[in-house]
Amino acid sequence: MLSVDAEVDRRDFTVRVALEVADGERVALFGPSGAGKTTVLEAVAGLVRPRRALIELNGRVLTSTAPPAVDVVPWKRRVGLVRQDPGLFPHLSVRANLLYARSARADELDALAAELDIAGLLSAMPARLSGGQRHRVALGRLLLAHCDALLLDEPFASLDAALRRSLTALVHDLSSERSVPSVLVTHQLADAQAFADRLAVIDGGCVLQVGAPDEVVRRPASRRVAELVGYLGFVQAVPPGADDGGSGTAAGAATVVGVHPDRVVAGTHPDRGLVVTGTVTAARPSGAGWEADVLAGDAAFTCRLPDRPAGVEVAVTVLDPPYFGPDGTLLVSGSAYSRSLQGKRGDRGACGRKPLSVL
Amino acid sequence: MITLFVHLSPGDIWSALTGAGDLDPLVTSLEAGGVTLAVLALLCTPLAWMLARGRLPFPRVWEAGLLMSLLLPPLVIGLLLVFMVGPYTPIGEVLAWIHQSATNTFLALVIAEVYESAPYYVLGATAAFAGVDTRLEQQAGLLGDRPRGVFRRVTLPLAAPGLAMAMAVAWARAMGAFGAVVIIAYHPFGIPLQIFTTLDETGLPSALPYALLLLVVALPLPMAAYIWSARAERRRRG
Repeated sequence: MLSVDAEVDRRDFTVRVALEVADGERVALFGPSGAGKTTVLEAVAGLVRPRRALIELNGRVLTSTAPPAVDVVPWKRRVGLVRQDPGLFPHLSVRANLLYARSARADELDALAAELDIAGLLSAMPARLSGGQRHRVALGRLLLAHCDALLLDEPFASLDAALRRSLTALVHDLSSERSVPSVLVTHQLADAQAFADRLAVIDGGCVLQVGAPDEVVRRPASRRVAELVGYLGFVQAVPPGADDGGSGTAAGAATVVGVHPDRVVAGTHPDRGLVVTGTVTAARPSGAGWEADVLAGDAAFTCRLPDRPAGVEVAVTVLDPPYFGPDGTLLVSGSAYSRSLQGKRGDRGACGRKPLSVL
Repeated sequence: MITLFVHLSPGDIWSALTGAGDLDPLVTSLEAGGVTLAVLALLCTPLAWMLARGRLPFPRVWEAGLLMSLLLPPLVIGLLLVFMVGPYTPIGEVLAWIHQSATNTFLALVIAEVYESAPYYVLGATAAFAGVDTRLEQQAGLLGDRPRGVFRRVTLPLAAPGLAMAMAVAWARAMGAFGAVVIIAYHPFGIPLQIFTTLDETGLPSALPYALLLLVVALPLPMAAYIWSARAERRRRG
């Protein structure tokens, strides 16, 4: 198990993270550029010195700032790190790269090379390899080194989507097979979701939310998390129960609903979520469907629909949307709201069931 | 080179270099140059690495010192060396205590050559080390290699072409060192001093064979270093 509880000073802010990753578990640190994700990995790898930290791997203390202070040197940490640049040694052949670690065992080489589909490249020099092949070699090098933890710092960011997907799946399988804790740093939500058992959203040096990838996207703990995981619009709405509880318009006016473009369906489906009508200000093809910018009252949001919106006025249903209070924290999640609605069939008073509850 | 060959016949070369002791300056230069390279490799390689990795305090002072010795006229370096290692200086006294002298000795010749060539080597070697991506060194460390192993297995091989070129330039500089040498190491004669004294005593035609000799011994190492660097680069490219 990898356990990280650290504060690392950076020039602009302090990165604070507390995270536990079990053996065989995969955690993705997801957040925007400059959020402090890489700093966390570097602290685990011993490449930066934390202000305060207790970092343990399989019961070994790697870093402890509490007396007696411990700071295990990087070459004794048994932590593998792959960066966007795979960092192959350019003067060594693929075989020599794979066997670079003193702990690498030559008898494992052929089987692993076959598994990684690099068996035919063993005598090649790194400069002759494609981007995907280089990453496969870098991954193989880490696996042959028998690291106790895998740290992946946006390793596939420079590759095309298909290659990224296949390599992410490969790492996913290999980390499970080796039963080592793995941490992926990425600012691509799709990569994080494809890789991780748990997603940790980090911004400004702070972990904002940790949870299952789908859970974090559907129930973002705050408006900021929602923005980071892809919510492209926030419309003001009366919070669930406000009509019944008489909380009033003032409270409702400060409440917003997050609109994720992928969690919107065309038409009025009040039993599935919040119905919003608005004006389509722009529409463009997106993948196999269409992406539309909608203006609803003062709020604008983007949604993806299977068909091109017919006409200027459109009614859409935001599926199980999260509601955020004035301070930006999650008031109630869409799924919880849906459950509450299921118990109140026929009750037309709930805000989400109005044809247009946007204020 | 063409000019040299135009003004030299094989007979001139033969007669100039086959007399008793005619090749002594060559031997002296080769020996002093070899020792100079060894000193540079042992002392200046770590210095260059520390400069490249920012491991030295006051790095600007070190850089300024290197540039100063690069820009100072060699004659001035020679004059200053007299004040530094001459017989009436603390270093000179220490040398005298172990029955050595840094004036008009082989040691003095080596010191002068080191001072004249060191800045060229250190600056070249610093650039070579700075060109090695530190993330590769980090990666090697994370794969379990200790710093010494990382230096031997990653840093040195990657910097080697640049180091070879720096060494070759230093060699050429050491072989041709004259300004500082003429001040503190007039004896024993190396080839540059042999050229100078021959020119002074018997004229230009007599000095030309030694000039050719100097080129013949000074140039092969830079050429070899260049070829080896190019081959190493090609090998990396697969």
